[in-house]
Amino acid sequence: MTLARSKCEETEVTTKSPLTEIRSKPLPADTHTCWSCGSMRAAHFCDSCGKVQPPVPVDYFTFFGLPPKLKIDVPALEKSFYELSRKLHPDLNARAGSQEQEWSMEQSSLLNDAYRTLKDPIKRTAYLLHSEGVELEEQSKSATEQARATGEAKKQIVPPDLLEEVFELNMQLEELRMNKKAGEDDPSLAKEISGHKVTLEAKHDALLQELQKYWTDWDSLIERNHGSKAPAEERANITAKMVDVLNRRNYIRNLLRDVNAALES
Amino acid sequence: MSYSDKVIDHYNNPRNVGSMDKSSNDVGTGLVGAPECGDVMKLQIKVNRETNVIEDAKFKTFGCGSAIASSSLATEWVKGKTVDEALAIKNMDIVKELSLPPVKIHCSVLAEDAIRAAIGDWKKKQGVHTPVAAEAK
Ligand code: FES
Repeated sequence: MTLARSKCEETEVTTKSPLTEIRSKPLPADTHTCWSCGSMRAAHFCDSCGKVQPPVPVDYFTFFGLPPKLKIDVPALEKSFYELSRKLHPDLNARAGSQEQEWSMEQSSLLNDAYRTLKDPIKRTAYLLHSEGVELEEQSKSATEQARATGEAKKQIVPPDLLEEVFELNMQLEELRMNKKAGEDDPSLAKEISGHKVTLEAKHDALLQELQKYWTDWDSLIERNHGSKAPAEERANITAKMVDVLNRRNYIRNLLRDVNAALES
Repeated sequence: MSYSDKVIDHYNNPRNVGSMDKSSNDVGTGLVGAPECGDVMKLQIKVNRETNVIEDAKFKTFGCGSAIASSSLATEWVKGKTVDEALAIKNMDIVKELSLPPVKIHCSVLAEDAIRAAIGDWKKKQGVHTPVAAEAK
C-alpha cells in the first residue's frame, strides 16, 4: 500500500470527509457511539476523538458509505480508500499493543478487500451478484444436476457457437505453439491469429459495454426504491443478464490471454 | 495447489486424445464449456449400432489439468459401456477417482456434461425415439 506520507497529518481529525457526504446507510444502532469518548461515531473511527472503532459486519458498499449501486466514482473511491487507510492504520504509535490496534488491523484488512473488490468492474459486479444470492461457481453444477434428473442433455450456459469459436481458436493456437516449438514459422497462421486478437478485443469491449447497460438498469432500480428492497423479480431479471455477460466474458478473456501468450512466445 | 498423482498421470499421458468424424452417424459429439472459468472440452464417442456399446472415445480439452484428467478418465470409463451405462457416470465418481479438491469440482462436472452431450448428440442422430432399453443384449 502506498500512502501519501507527505500529506499525512495524523493529528488532523475532522476535516470534512467524502465518506460522510456519500454515506447513505445508517449503521446498526448499537454502534452509533464511540467506545472511547461516547460521542457519535463515523463507521470506522470516531469523528470527535479519532479512535478506531471495532469493525461492524457490513457489505463492501456500506463499508465505503456507498449505496449498493454499480456505477461508482472510482477516483472518489480511491480517495476514500487512501483517507481511510491513513486513519485506520494499525501502526500509529498511540495504538501500539492496544485493543484499538487489533481493531485497526481488522478494519484495514476489510478496507483492502473492499477496495480491491469495488474498484474492479468485474469483481464489483460479481460481488453484487454474490450478495444477491447468485452462486457464479455453482451454476454449472446445478444445471448438470437438472440434466441428470430429466435425462436431457444439459443446457449449455453460453451459446453453442461461442463454444465452437472458442474451440476452433484454441486448435489454431495449439498449432501455432507446435509450429513455434518445431522451429517452423507459419506467418499466415500468425497473421490470422493476430486478426482474431483484434476481434476478441472488440468483443471484450462490447461485453463490458453491455454490462454497463445492466449496471444502469440496476442502479435506477435501486434509486427508484430509495433504500428499500426492490421486488425480487425485478432484481433477478437484471442480475440474470449480468451473469450471462460475465459467463461469456470468461471465455473471451481466456482466449485473449492465450492468444497474447501464443503470439508473444 | 497440488494435483494428485492420478491427475498428473492423466495430464502427462492423456488417453484417447483426438477426434473422430463428426458427421458420421455412429459418432456422437459433445462440446461443452465451464462458464466458471471459460474452459472448453470436446468429447466424442463411437457407438456400435447393434449393441449400443461405446467402442471408442476421443477427447480434446482446453482447460486446466483437472479438466484434462477428468476427460481423459471419462473416455477410458465410457469405452466398453453401453450408452445407458455411460449416462450413469457422475462427476463425483471422477472427483473420487482423481481426488479432486473442492475448487476443481466444476472441472469434473465438465466431463460429465461432455459425456451427456456426446450421448445426446448420438441419440439425436439415431432418431429421438430410439428405444435404447429394449435393445437386445
Ligand atoms: S479450471 Fe476450468 S475446467 Fe478446471
